[in-house]
Amino acid sequence: MVEIDPTDHDIAELGPKIKDVDDADELREMLELEESGEDRAPVKTLVEDRIEKVEDDGEAVDPESVDLSEQTVADIANLVRDVDDTAVLREMLDREREGKDRKTAKEQIESRIESVEGSDEAEGEQLEYVPPEEKHSDLDHPTNDKQWVEGVDGGTYRDMWVYCETQDGELIDVSLEMLGKARRLMDDYNDQYGGDETGDPEDVVAVLIGDDVADLTDEVVAHGADRVVYLENDRLGRFRHRPYTEIFCDMARAGGQLAAEGRESVDWKEYDEPRYTVFPATNNGRDLSALVQGELDSGLASDCSGLYIEDAMISNPAKTGKPGDSEEFERVLHMKRPDFSGFEYSTILCIDKPFRDFHPQGASVIPGSFEIPEPDPDRDGEVVEHEMPLDEAWFDVTVTDHDTLDTGVDLTGHDVVVALGRGIGDAPTAGIELGLDLVEALDDAALGLSRGVITSSYNFAGHVESYVGEQRQIGESGQVVEPDVYVAAGISGAIQHKVGMDESDTIVAVNTDPEADIRDFSDYFVEGDLFEVLPRLTEAVERGELPAALAEADD
Amino acid sequence: MHNVVLTKGVPDFREGQVSFDEEGHLERGKTPTVMNPNDRAALRAALGTRVRNGGTVSLLSMGPPGYKEVLQEGMREVYADDLYLLSDREMGAADTWATAMTVATGIQNLEDPPDLVFAGFKTADGETGHTGPQTAWCLDIPLVTHVVSLEIDEEAGRLRAKRLVEGDIEEIETVEAPLPSFVVVDPEFESTYRRAAHRLEHKDMRAQTRRRAEEFEDHLTVWDHADLNLDPDYIGLDGSPTIVSGVDPIPKAPSEREATAVDPDDPDGMESVVAELTPYAAGD
Repeated sequence: MVEIDPTDHDIAELGPKIKDVDDADELREMLELEESGEDRAPVKTLVEDRIEKVEDDGEAVDPESVDLSEQTVADIANLVRDVDDTAVLREMLDREREGKDRKTAKEQIESRIESVEGSDEAEGEQLEYVPPEEKHSDLDHPTNDKQWVEGVDGGTYRDMWVYCETQDGELIDVSLEMLGKARRLMDDYNDQYGGDETGDPEDVVAVLIGDDVADLTDEVVAHGADRVVYLENDRLGRFRHRPYTEIFCDMARAGGQLAAEGRESVDWKEYDEPRYTVFPATNNGRDLSALVQGELDSGLASDCSGLYIEDAMISNPAKTGKPGDSEEFERVLHMKRPDFSGFEYSTILCIDKPFRDFHPQGASVIPGSFEIPEPDPDRDGEVVEHEMPLDEAWFDVTVTDHDTLDTGVDLTGHDVVVALGRGIGDAPTAGIELGLDLVEALDDAALGLSRGVITSSYNFAGHVESYVGEQRQIGESGQVVEPDVYVAAGISGAIQHKVGMDESDTIVAVNTDPEADIRDFSDYFVEGDLFEVLPRLTEAVERGELPAALAEADD
Repeated sequence: MHNVVLTKGVPDFREGQVSFDEEGHLERGKTPTVMNPNDRAALRAALGTRVRNGGTVSLLSMGPPGYKEVLQEGMREVYADDLYLLSDREMGAADTWATAMTVATGIQNLEDPPDLVFAGFKTADGETGHTGPQTAWCLDIPLVTHVVSLEIDEEAGRLRAKRLVEGDIEEIETVEAPLPSFVVVDPEFESTYRRAAHRLEHKDMRAQTRRRAEEFEDHLTVWDHADLNLDPDYIGLDGSPTIVSGVDPIPKAPSEREATAVDPDDPDGMESVVAELTPYAAGD
């Protein structure tokens, strides 16, 4: 029996989970489950890679004799974790210096040395609170920063709170996606930890704020909430930063140490603040997440595409208070997000520090990252109407008008999509022009872009500037297209781009780099410069044949 | 009118500028620093306000001493009267909340309190979009985000802005707010100068700006944590709720298709590619 059924998880969650599975047979069983279930190619690759790794690791690697140059940095990180002898570690460090001399590998070994040495010294030591006046006597006290810090130290936290954004009196899709995800996370959480510290299961709490939200409470419960807290007021028809933040925080603090006057005790909540908060990564949702987490003196990760909860070993002295010492933090929300303009995935953690709690642990979620769950109309949930006075001063920003925009650019449903990537970097304006030329030569084609083009600081000439924007982005955080022919020019082929186009019938890649990843999911790989290849294709399409010069070269 | 614009240096993500180590991690040290692209929109908005309503512009950033050049680049974009850099080891490795506290304190420390603070929408490296709103929250002034156009009525002490709202449908909202306010400018912000006098003013200012940027250090003030009376435990890494626990290169997409290699100079190969496209050629 396998512990993890891959079909229950997103790929971003599976990555870290699967690292704990060392049994190749179990992994094979998982692979079969995936094949007979959702059959996602990236998941299968993930499992297959793990099988390979587990089998390779069959014989224990001896840190004293292993050839480090054959190990990846990740392997080295795993290897040193079990080594407690600093002499062995130092000897490994020397071997790495003489070998590949990788900075990241050396850092892994050095940090292990530090942590082994530190834990000997720091053992049994209790952290002592030093008042800031004593610690920083050179500064005036109170210092300027303290005016904004209204947090809890040693508080009680429970539940995952989900801000359910609405538009025109309806829940937007991402609100339902988040509820489904929160439900799965908290079910797993309650299984794994047996609920809170006293054994009571922790809940999914949905928050609704607006002028017409009381009708939505059933829908929210059906999609996974155990409790809905809502506040309805005519003045809240449109999102306003200040009142929405004040209301959310008032709910979050109700019944806790920092509760506002009149909300010191409520019958639905006895803890100080939520354990986790989740918001949609929309314009308004992301703003609200930043303000709520700031007001609650905590942190968050934005635009996440993967979330999971597990314990975390932290050696960062800012968090442990003891240099060199590692400390285990329990029940940590791991927030995975594409970072650095899509070059890397980062995992962000929000971790308490000594004498200052950083709870709730907050995240905003990219719309479309998770499935909308099947609603269950029979689910039971508690509905709480939150009451509080609204301060006139919160409404100093007024909405005088609003209008629906046309739905931007729709790249789906075309015969051909011509997509451009960072390969246009040498002459970005000319690159866009060449892409548009090919689009125009075709009957029903559209211009798409990789995320890299949008986030790069290219300077475009005015006449093509309007073509460059997120509305043309293809991939994980953009549009998903499946045309008959997809032309990918100057796109290296990151996995986030792939998910936006790999259902296309025919994929033609144009790239100067014969090793570009996109080669693995193309039908034609034209190894050449898009600045030369695109005009040839355009001319050939216009004339119905190849440019004369090229055709003659055949003779 | 005193306008303050916030800006930040980020790695230059353009092709050929980015360095990776052999594990596929971004090497920040080897990647050159440029002004955050989204901040150009904030600078355009501030410049537009200055051209139409007069006043002064201060440019403020937090970062290592190398960010001076980013401020110079910003000064070239907008006629900035003075530049401020909050720079101190204690401020390093801050997340958005620790940054917001530091930047807000820097703004409070300006001799002339601002009527408008401008920030761009998210940086190209952190990509959170949190620092602007959180700074506004610290300053306790009205916040208007995702702004695509802006008008100031100085006499009434109010601004009117259009802002983008996302969701299942996209909307545009017109909002009004009293000054001082904090404006987060959307990358799609457009400034227009309809009146001839404004166009002339804009042109003059561009010329003066270039001269000023040459001697930018004469206009630069650098503050460290002690200048701002900030407790090192509450700023930088020590004051940050969040940490980055791991960075993984984006996994390579698994191979699914068998690509036919085509030499662009080989007519036969190119012919097969063209044959895929010609059925979709535009009619005459």
